[in-house]
This record gives sequence, structure tokens and C-alpha cells, in this order.
Amino acid sequence: MSKKVFEHPVAQPGEPTGPSYWRSLEERNKSPEFRTRAEREFVEGASAITSVERREFLMLMGASFGLAGLGLAGCREPRNHTLPYAKQPENTIPGVATYYASSFPGEFANQPILVETHQHRPTKIEGNPSHRANGGASSKFAQASVLDMYDPDRAQASVAADGSVLSVAAVRAFVRGLATSAKANAGAGLAFLARPSTSPTRARLVAGLKAAYPKARWVEYTPVEQNSAERVLGARALPDYAKARRVLSLDRDFLGAHDTTVEDTRAYSSARRADTVEEAEKMTRLYVVESTFSLTGAAADHRLRASSSHISGLAILFAAEVLAKTSNAAASSLKGKVSGINVDAKWVTECVADLVAAKGEALIVAGDHLSADAHRAVFLANQVLGAAVKYVAAPSPSSLTIAALAAKPAETLVILGGNPAYDAPADVNFGAAIKAAKTVVRLGYHGASFDETSAAVKAAGGTFLASSHYLESWSDGRTLSGVYVPVQPMIDPLFATVTELDVLAPFAGSDKDAHALVRETFNSLSKDSSDEAFAAWLAEGVLAGTAFVAAKPAVGAEQIKAFAAPALSFDSLEVRLVPSVHSGDGQYANNGWLAEAPDPMSKTVWENVILVSPKFAAKLAIEPSEAFINKIGGEADFLHSGALNRNINQLVDGRLICRIATLTLGDKTVTGPLFIMPGMADFTVGLQLGFGRRVGGRVATRVPERLAGRTVGNGFDVYPFVSASESAVRTGVKLTLTGATVAVGNMQDHWSMEGRDIVREGNVEDLKKNENFAKLGIDGHAPAVYGKDGAMAPALKAITTPRGNSAYEHPAHSIAPNVAVWKGHESEFPALQQWGMSIDLNTCTGCNACVTACQSENNIPVVGREQVLKGRNMHWIRLDRYFFDGRAAAGNAIPEDPQVTFMGVACQHCETAPCETVCPANATVHDDQGLNTMAYNRCIGTRYCANNCPYKVRRFNFLDFNKRVDGHYYEGPLGPEKAVKDPADLPQLQKNPDVSVRMRGVMEKCTYCVQRIQEAKIQAKVRARNSADINVRDGVIQVACQQACPAGAIEFGDITDPKSRVAKAKASTRSYGALTYLNTRPRTTYQAKLRNLNLRMPGANLVPLSRVEMTGRESHGAPAHGAAPHGDTHAKPAHGAEHHAK
Amino acid sequence: MAHAHDSSSERPAILDKVRPAELPRSPLILNNRGFHWITDKVCGIVEEETPLWWKIMFGVALFVASFTFIGLGYLVSTGTGTWGLRSPVGWGWAIVNFVFWVGIGHAGTLISAILCLLRQKWRTSINRAAEAMTIFAVCCAGLFPLFHVGRVWFGWWLLPLPNQNGIWPQFRSPLEWDVFAVSTYFTVSTLFWYMGMIPDLGVIRDRATTWWRKAFYSLLAMGWRGGNRQWSNFEMAYLLLAGLSTPLVLSVHTIVSFDFAVSNVPGWHTTIFPPYFVAGAIFSGFAMVLTLMLPLRAIYRLHDVITQYHIDNMCKIILATGTMVGYAYATEFFIAAYSGNSFEKFAFVNRAFGQYWWAYWIMVSCNVITPQLFWFKKVRENHSLVWIICLFVNVGMWFERFVITVTSLANDYLPSSWGYYSPTIVDIFTFFGTFGFFSVLFLLFIRFLPLLPMAELKMVSPQADPHAH
Repeated sequence: MSKKVFEHPVAQPGEPTGPSYWRSLEERNKSPEFRTRAEREFVEGASAITSVERREFLMLMGASFGLAGLGLAGCREPRNHTLPYAKQPENTIPGVATYYASSFPGEFANQPILVETHQHRPTKIEGNPSHRANGGASSKFAQASVLDMYDPDRAQASVAADGSVLSVAAVRAFVRGLATSAKANAGAGLAFLARPSTSPTRARLVAGLKAAYPKARWVEYTPVEQNSAERVLGARALPDYAKARRVLSLDRDFLGAHDTTVEDTRAYSSARRADTVEEAEKMTRLYVVESTFSLTGAAADHRLRASSSHISGLAILFAAEVLAKTSNAAASSLKGKVSGINVDAKWVTECVADLVAAKGEALIVAGDHLSADAHRAVFLANQVLGAAVKYVAAPSPSSLTIAALAAKPAETLVILGGNPAYDAPADVNFGAAIKAAKTVVRLGYHGASFDETSAAVKAAGGTFLASSHYLESWSDGRTLSGVYVPVQPMIDPLFATVTELDVLAPFAGSDKDAHALVRETFNSLSKDSSDEAFAAWLAEGVLAGTAFVAAKPAVGAEQIKAFAAPALSFDSLEVRLVPSVHSGDGQYANNGWLAEAPDPMSKTVWENVILVSPKFAAKLAIEPSEAFINKIGGEADFLHSGALNRNINQLVDGRLICRIATLTLGDKTVTGPLFIMPGMADFTVGLQLGFGRRVGGRVATRVPERLAGRTVGNGFDVYPFVSASESAVRTGVKLTLTGATVAVGNMQDHWSMEGRDIVREGNVEDLKKNENFAKLGIDGHAPAVYGKDGAMAPALKAITTPRGNSAYEHPAHSIAPNVAVWKGHESEFPALQQWGMSIDLNTCTGCNACVTACQSENNIPVVGREQVLKGRNMHWIRLDRYFFDGRAAAGNAIPEDPQVTFMGVACQHCETAPCETVCPANATVHDDQGLNTMAYNRCIGTRYCANNCPYKVRRFNFLDFNKRVDGHYYEGPLGPEKAVKDPADLPQLQKNPDVSVRMRGVMEKCTYCVQRIQEAKIQAKVRARNSADINVRDGVIQVACQQACPAGAIEFGDITDPKSRVAKAKASTRSYGALTYLNTRPRTTYQAKLRNLNLRMPGANLVPLSRVEMTGRESHGAPAHGAAPHGDTHAKPAHGAEHHAK
Repeated sequence: MAHAHDSSSERPAILDKVRPAELPRSPLILNNRGFHWITDKVCGIVEEETPLWWKIMFGVALFVASFTFIGLGYLVSTGTGTWGLRSPVGWGWAIVNFVFWVGIGHAGTLISAILCLLRQKWRTSINRAAEAMTIFAVCCAGLFPLFHVGRVWFGWWLLPLPNQNGIWPQFRSPLEWDVFAVSTYFTVSTLFWYMGMIPDLGVIRDRATTWWRKAFYSLLAMGWRGGNRQWSNFEMAYLLLAGLSTPLVLSVHTIVSFDFAVSNVPGWHTTIFPPYFVAGAIFSGFAMVLTLMLPLRAIYRLHDVITQYHIDNMCKIILATGTMVGYAYATEFFIAAYSGNSFEKFAFVNRAFGQYWWAYWIMVSCNVITPQLFWFKKVRENHSLVWIICLFVNVGMWFERFVITVTSLANDYLPSSWGYYSPTIVDIFTFFGTFGFFSVLFLLFIRFLPLLPMAELKMVSPQADPHAH
């Protein structure tokens, strides 16, 4: 990086300035000699000094001080970049965060966000509550995007073809030159390759470009398509999960893998909220047909395993069934078109019967990889069902494909973003296209050392333009439904970078900057184009009344062609390619938070795995060494209740040791570790994109290799299996074991809940029989832990019954302090608020947004793959994943079709916290509002608290994760420090200044975001002025996990206020505390999971599988014969239900 | 200390009639060795030219000890992560080693205090070395809790030092009790040991031939002249300290066991721990005494003062305490089953059949099965075998602490958080080095201080009681 030239800002006319002092005539006359002298960072000869004498030293220091004082125009706000506040403080107050509205750009939909900035430094992303569909929630990718801005590997300068560094002005001149030279032949030979974008400004520029250069080609490419139905129907479908009471998802992971996950999860979970029987009966019922186990599948009430390549046919079958049930004429012809699918007919008919019965409130959604015919069939079925789905006219995506571009290489190729050299389909030789072009221009976020495309462009002698992060850029975009949202910069670009709009503008014949371009677009889209309206839009983050207009797609049954399912076997498998939960399609590969946020299902981190079905594993002769599930049902005998049921992927010394397998498809092979995943379709192999980067940054590549001077990406690359025509599902794949094994980083060894009553689960039928089904298990037998206060309301109990174990217990906190001012007014003294949390397991989908939000808010370090393998991850909140399969009682068999639940576990803030009494240093103590606080400065690190925490939520800084560099942790003081190795130490700029950065040897854990509580308390006290009304209003404090949660599963607030949302949640019949028999009295409680079963479906179990698994009298598990037979509504209720139904 | 048949007048007449054979008490000192022999024998060890084996052993011990200190240096400079600890196993080898060494440090004070109060005269031959062993074992033990903390430089915060902020240690934490218990135990044991040595140091001083030896031992002997008043005071102080130490023998390991028992971890949270730990400590302590004394007896030819009778007694104590420990293992299982608490049940079944089954069965075979051989007189008389069995006991007791500490933590309440702990090379070397550290201290002890209590030996020798028969 070149040295920055110091340009002293000149005050603009009319700008308030300080008095203009001058010290010499040269300065006053603005002589060029003086200017050169002033612009030097150091005086002439400063670096040539060999020995400093006193006089020289004084001279130099004097000169430095003189130079330091040269910014004589006085202190000013940065010019030209004043932005409206979303939450308006009077001024920028140091230490008080400012929030600006913006949006997280997606290829399909932008996510409206608020960005928390501390003195103009973005530190945290939050959803924008002004956008109702998101309601303030955000995805983990949006959360983690702030870290990308501080990626130390990001390109910091543009590089010309000859290797010289280009300034921003030079870049602009270069692009203008390119535009001018292409003008001559109307853009013949000029081609652009970009990622899809929702930005109307970009669309406008592209339109201008196409007009100015009619012969130029504009190509958009994304490896993971999200709008295939749109292509087929010519309109975008907006399913309303909030209104639907019956949802059938055909391989569409709407809760997991889309730009619109936040909106969809929010809508879906709003329809899953239920406490009473009446509400539960109205709850959405979700049917899922899928091949790999997705988050949507985990949330399903009924899940059908089917190969993805068959699901297109299944979609037609389902549609035919719907049409038949509604006596539609086209039904029989449709049904006959499908062949080769072997499916449980009862599943289809019963499911469709249920959908038809809920006509008007039923909905079918289909995955984007399904065939055009499947989308047509689903559309027809939805029409008949009167499904809650709107169709709108969205801008059509570009029609040119990357394959066409590569087939006819351009002379001048401009690659805007993306990483086609890595993620282009394997049958598209994009590298050749780069080589073939005379002039290649690459706008990228990572330079040639950290990005395949940038490296290829460099090799081809192209020009690299460093791209700004979206938090440094002006742009705009649209949400799923077309609401116009801004992308506004929070900060000047950290480096000399430009945006996509900057590059496109000259081609569209505009010399305006991005801000002006966005303003132009705004003017055209908004009814009111005044400055005030623009400012209001920026402040609000959404523009009302800008949704897409409704459309009416028309599809006929006759358009649907015959479907013959490919034959699958263990020798001819199907591969399902999905974007990674860590790195997406590879674009987030260098983001440490995402790399370390575990895959919700497999719990693997930092890499991808080959997922195979248990049946296939058995075929490969991989047998579990121990019984997977305990003896199901019946009284557990002493010796069997404790058999360790480990993850059947071999665990050796706590490490996940996976066999390495090679997949072969034609001449392409992919090699990676094999992970047996229950719930996979038998012949499906699951692969995740986005790993195995050949050229990548410090997160994307493996540490040991990097230290040895090589670059080897984490995980393995599966793009060889992506073809231009089939990017998500391939068939005819063969798998062979290599015989080798490898340790894979994973964060949860265990699959089974071991029959313990940790996650409580019921279903609607169950709830009808016993509303208190959640209060089962050992807690039911535990002695009352509140003494005579047992019957008291929880809120009252929280402030009266002695609690906490601090040696410094506050005096009775609801009694006025013994000071004169309160004399006679004791009753007016407000009782302190008592904080608590409730997590609804019923709505939680396991999306990890809370994990990343917590990491971002609380300065939680990334520990790296090697440390994860050693079991030292630092997450304050984790999502425990448990599989249940009450049906598989057979000894060592791996369950093929289990159910899954997630349980978010962070510090439970026990009122009688076991951690507090055992800390010899008194470093963890209770505060008077019920928080179990942690004084990092006092902690000496005995780890006794972590041992004594039954929830295992305390995290220990085993090494200097914040100070040292991954790969050098074990070098101690001899190893490099982050700040020394990386003088800019960019990631440190992300740190939240309200939260301590912990050193090694210190214990840490969830604090209920105490910094947010304090901030709210201060505000409440400021607002209260002289009154005693100092209570924080309900909903004002949003802890980071709660704030991010798209499902709204987390409630936080004052549990003594019966009107607060958290108190209401805790009053729910489903509310229970985990492990409360230990008398921990946790402030965080859970609401039991509910499944909404259709008892006519095959495999419907009256008794929830989790309870079927619970054994022994502690758990009040299932009746001895376990699960109910298919659809048997006369099955006995659980013993627990009878026992407690009083 | 004289015995007299002063009750002859009340003898039942029948005795005279049947004239039973006298049941001879085993003499504590064989071969009719006199006072002078004892003085020469004990002082000779200190006064002789440094033997070659000592020099070699000392070099080896220093080398081995360096492992501990290099390991600790690396630990402090780099972080606790250099050890194998992980979530959820917050305590690993360090705490195992701590309890192991503290346990070993029990025999000394038991021998010197409890056996003194119980007038077990056979203790005199072994108590000095056993006390030294205690003190050195506690030195080794103390390293671990001090250094296992994440920020050792703040270790002093565990001391109740008055400060401006009014912050005190957490007096309800068993670790805090440990600080007091172990430091008290160390202080009292050291006092007891040193005080008992004073008359012997006086003897060495009087026999010293070089000026520096005279100066050194004069300082240590604190002006001991052997006068009646001094003896009287000495005996009284000795008795008082014995009385003071007796509860400590029980309290230290009780409190160490509280580190576990007071927590709520299944497998730790059991009321049986205090007696079980104390029994285990005595068990391992005696095993360690034998491990050390048998070679010393051979090297210094102390067969006349450390007799088969002594060895027999110690073997029997090992047998008794080993059986108690075995009984405790069985009781734990019974209570777990009887409690009806699935977490408890699981914890114990998991110990025996879970991922650490091998550690459990090493523990059981070493601690319960091997000592049963001491039922046989032939075994007790075969000193090589005794020594090997004692080594087994030491290994077994280390594994007992490992089983308790690690298996309970690795699989506790939430299966989602279960993990597997294994040590790193740093853990292993640091522990290995403590044997060197211990040996360094012990070798210095046998070289410079009286290995056996001369004065006390003389008191129990037949010559001290000429009217006995």
C-alpha cells in the first residue's frame, strides 16, 4: 500500500471555519514550495537521520508539531457526507451509537437494515423495523457482512495492467477512456459480466449502457439461482406464510437458504405461535418433501424424504392430486405424465386432502432447482387451492448466460464483482474467456492474492479495480416485494476503492457520482422528489408505496410435458448441491464469523462435508460401533440407561473423524470427508458450495498450509459438478471410499438427547389432552424449590423470594433506601425491574442469526478451525441440535428419518447460580436485577464456574484469541500480535466499544447484553427527570439475539411486569425451565415445541418422538410400546400426560 | 516411657496356673543396637562423603524437575490452551495431579500425629521421612492449583487482603477453602517436622567437624542443649502439635474433596467424598512411604530400625484403606442406582463403561485388587513385591482422581456439550517433572537432614527401658 498523500481540506465557501492563522508569508501567499513542504508527512531528510542529536531532535519535533497544526480551518464534520439519523440524537455524542438505515444487497432481494455506528465506524448490523416484513430481524449473512468490511485481505488499491497502483481519479479516468474507446464500434466486442442485483439505479445504468452500446453484451451470472419460478411464470410469486394454514414445501428451503429467509421465517413463525388449544389448532401445518435435511425439513410437521431429481415429478403428482380432489378435468392427464417415481401414495393423498380441506389457506411452494414444469404444476395447484400467494411483476433478469459469453469471448471483458473463475459452471471454460479478451477489467473486493478471478485477470494482464464495501457505497435496491430501499455509506471508503455504479456510469453516459445517480433514481420512483423526501427515505430506510405491481401469470396444464424420473441406485446416486451455510456460494468464504457459525444440522464448521444417508452408509459397511438410540420405551434398566450414544460418524478422542470419499460424475471428481446424516433421501448425496477456494484469504484457506507457504482452501470445491444446465441436482454419480480419514471441525458431538427431558415437545393432540405437558420429567418430582412461595406468581417470586448468591447481596431492593428524601414516600419507590428471557422452541428454526448477532455485539473472537477441533469455540449462545427417532428401536441401526429440534442455550442467569458460589475470586456475582454478571477484570480463570454450570454456557479464553494470530497461538509472546502483524488491524475496528475485549485466561459468557440494558436504563432515567418513573418500557431493550431473530422466538424484558411480553411468554402453559430440579431457578426459560400433526398421515406419532425417547421414571417417557402405529388415533397418551393432567 | 508390670497383684490366679507363654512384642529395633549405633547410623548418612549414586540421582532429578518449570513457563507465557483442557472439561491433569500429590502428603502427618497420639511406637522409624515426603508432596501439589488458573499473576487475589474496593475472595467457594486448608496443612506439617528434628539437629551440630557445618546446624538447632527443661518443653510442644495436626489430616483431604462434592456435577456431588478421599489419601500416602523407604532401607542398611514389623504394619494399613476405597466405589454405584436420579446413574455407568472405561478399570484393578495380596504374609515379606504393589497403588490413585475429575466433567447434563479430554505433551511433561522436583527436595533432605528421628528411636529401643523385663 502506498503512503497516503495528506491533502489538507480547504474550507468550502459558507462553511463555518475557525480563524485562519498563518505563520509565514509563503503560507499566506499559498506558494507552491510551501504546499509541497506542507504536504510531506515528514520534513525533508527526516528518514535519513542516522544519529539524532538534541538540537536535531528538537528541530524535527518542532517541525512535526508545526505540521500537525496545519489543519487550520478548524474542526469540522466531514464534508459532503452528512447523513440523516435513523434514531435522532441531538448531536453525535461520543460513546453513544448512531444508527443509519441502509440495506444489505442481495441478488434477489435486499434486506433493509440499520447500521450501528460508533463515531462513524460501523460495528453492527440490525434489521430495519420500518420494513414490516422483516420487523427488525436480519439474517446471519447480513449480520456478518460488517466483518467483511474490515477484512484485512480486502483489496486496498486498484492495480493497472502494468502493475502500478491506480488512484480513484485514475480509475475514473481509465473507465472513461474505456467507455470512449468502445464508443467507436457501438460496443462490439465489449461484454460485461455481473452478479444479479436489485438496484434500480444499476438497472437504469445498464439500460443506458445498452442504449449507448447496442452491440455490447450484458451478462448476469449467479451460481445459485433464486428466481427460476419467475422465469417460468413471468411473474414473481410472493407466498404469504403468515396467512397459510397448510404449507407444502417441495424441496424449497425457505427457512434456510434464500435472500428472503428473514421475511419468510418471520411470516411462517408468526403463524406458528400458539399457547392455547384454540391457537394451536389454527397453527400452520408444514409438509416438506426434500432430499437433504434442511432447516425447513427440521421445522416440518411431516417430512417426506425423496430424491431431488424426483421432486419435479412429485410436484406434478401433487398438483394432479389437488386437481383431482377438486374435480378438475386436467387431473388425470397430468397424473399420467409422471413415471418412474416410487412414493408412498398415502402420503401424497392425505397431504393433498389436508391442503384441499384448507382451501384458501393452503399453499404449495417449490424449490428453485425444480423443472419449469414443476413450477407450472405448482402454480396450477395453487390457483385451485386459492393459495395465499401474490404474483407481482418484477424486473426480468438478463437473458444472456455465462455459457454464451464464454462460447463467444469478448475483446473487452468487464467483470463486475462475483468470482466466475471459481464459481462458473464446470462446462463453461471461463478462464479461457479471460485469457481470450484483449482487455480485461475486474472490479473485485479481493485482489489477485485472495481471489481466483482477480488472480486470473492479473495473469491475463488485466486491470484490477478495488471495490468498495456496501457500507462504504451509495446504491439502492428493492426488497422481495419491491419496496425501494437505499444503500448508503456509513463511512468514507477505508481505501481507494470504487463501486459498481462508478464503473457503469461512464458507459451509461453519465458523469455523475453514485450519490447523484441514486438521487436521480429516487426522483423517478418517489412521488415527492424534494430534498426532505430524500432525507426521509434515507432516514426511514424504506420508501412507502413502491412495491411491485400485481401480475397475472397464465399457465395451462397442457404446457406440462411428460416427466420420467431418472433411475437412482447406490451405484448411480444423485447429488444435491446447496449453497453453504458458512460461505454461501463462496462469496462469504473469508468471513470468520460465518466460517465458525456451525452448520445447524451437521454442526460442522470451517469446511464442508459429503452428506450421505444412513442406508447408504450401511451399504458402505459403515456401522455404528454403539447403539445409536437407547432402548426405546419401557423401564430403562440401570445398566442400559447410560450407554453412550455417540455421533456415529466415528468420534475418536472427541474429534469427528470422517472417512474420505470420492464422487465421480463423468470425468469430474470431487473428494471430501463423508458425513452420515440421518434424514437424507437414500440415494441423495448432499454437497455444499463455496469451499475449497484455490486462491483465498486467511479465513478461506487452511492455516497449516498457509504457514507452510501454500494456499489450500478449507473444505473441498464442488463446482466441478455444477454444469451450465444443471446447477443444483446431478444424477449418475458414483461414490467410492478412499480408505483415508480426516478430522472435521464440529461443535456438537452428540446426536441424541439421551432420553433426558431437556427439550420438551408436544403436539396439538397432546396439548388438548394436557395443557401442561411441558411440565414433565424429573422436575415434577423435585421438591418445591421456593419453599412456601411455591404458589406465588413468578413475577412476585422474583422480587421477594431470596435469590442470588452474591456475597454483596443488595439490601432488599424493593424497599426504599433509608434516606431522608424517601421518608413518607416509601410506597412510591419503584421496585427494580427484573430481567428475564423466554425462548420459544416452537418458532425457533435454528437459523444461527442469533449466534452471529451475539458474536458481533459482544466482541466474541473467532478461534479458528484448529481450536474448534480442540473444543474451544467461544460462542455465547449455541443452538443445540437433537435428533429423535422413537420409531427405530433396532439396536445399532442409524435412524433414517428422525425428527430434529433446536434449542438455543446461552447463560440462563440462574437466580441461584451454581457458578457464583464456586468462584474463589468473587468474579461472577449477581446483580440486583437478576443478572448473573461477570467481572472480567476480577477473573483469574480457575474455570470452576464453567465446571459447575449445568448448562455449559461459560466460555474460557484458553489462548489470546483476540491478540494473537490464528496459527501462531502456540508461540506465545514470540508469536506475532495481530496489531503488529497487521498495523491497520482492520477487524479490531469492528469491535463494539461498549463491550470489553477479553484477554486470555478469562471466563466469559452471555451477559443479557448488559450494555444495552444500561443504555436503556440511562435513557429511562434521563426521561424520568424528577419523577420516579425510571422503569424501562417493555420492548425498549432488545438483546442482540432477540433483535436478530427472524422467528421472534426470543423475548426479553421485565418479568415482574405482568404485561411485558416476556412475562406473558413465561406465563404460557408451554413454559418450562431446563434442569430446574437443580434449584438453579433460571431466568431464561423455554416454551415447549409443538408439532401440528395430521394424524391421518403415515408415520404420524401421537406421542412426540422426543418424549418417546425419554426413559425411566424421571422423564415420564412414552408408553412401553413407544410410538403409535400409523394414523392410530386411539393410541394411549403418554404416561406423563396422565400423571400431570390434574 | 517406661512400662511396668504394676498390675501383678491383680493378676487372676488362673494365669499362674496355666502359665501362658509370654506374647512377645516385636522389638522395634533389632539386633540389640545401642544408642551409639543409632547416632552413628543416622548421623553417618549426613556426615559421610556425598555418595556417587546421590550425585547421579540428584542430577537426574534436577533434569526431570526442569520439565515442570519449563512447562509452567510455557503455560504462563502462552496460555492455558497449551494444556489439553477444553469445554466442557475445565479441569484436567492439573487438578488430578494436585489431588494426587496432596493425597500422598497425608501419610506423613498421619504417622507423626495420629499414630503419636495413639502411641503407636513403630511410627518412630518412619515418621521423619514420611513427614518430609508430606511437605515435599504438598510443594508439588501446590504448584498445580496455583498455575492452573488462567491468570496466575493474579493468584494473590485468593488471599483475603484488605483493599480499598472492599472486594474479598468468595468465602463460599471450596477453592478458597482449599487455599486455607492446604496452606495451614503445609505450615503445621512443616513446623511439626522441623520441631521434631531439633534434638537431632543438635546432635549433628555437636558432631560437626567443619566450621560451615557447625554454623549451618547451629542455626537449625536453635540452641538445643538437651536439658531437662528443654526436653520437657519439647515433649509438650510435640504433643500439642500432634493434637493440632490430627484434625488437619482429616480436614485437608475433606476440603479437597469439597472441591468436587460441593459442586453440582453428577459424579462429584456425593456426600461420600470426604471419608472416601481421606481413606484414599492415607492409602496412597502409605504406598508412597513404602515406595521411598524400601529403597532407602536397602541403600543405608536400615534393616535394624525399619523392620519387617514396620513393613507389615504399613502393608496392613494399605490393605485396610484400599478395601475401604473399594467399598466406596461400590457404595457410589449403589447410591447412584438408589437415588433414582438418571444423571447420577448415568455418571457412574459412564465411568465404568463409557469413553473412559479404561481409566476406571485401571483404577479398580490397582486400588482394589492389587492390595488384596497383602492378606498373605509371604507377599508382605517379599519386599520387591511390596514395592511393586505400592507402585500400582500410586498409579491407581492417580487414576482415581482422573476418573473422578475428567469423566464427570466430560459427560454431564446436556449431551450437546459433551466432549472428550486428552492431555497435551505440556500436561504430561509438567506432571512428569514434579517427580523430579519431589526427588530434588527429598534427596536434599536425606543428604542434609537426619533421615530418622534419633532421639525418638532411642526412646523406643529396648535399652531405653531397662526395667521392662
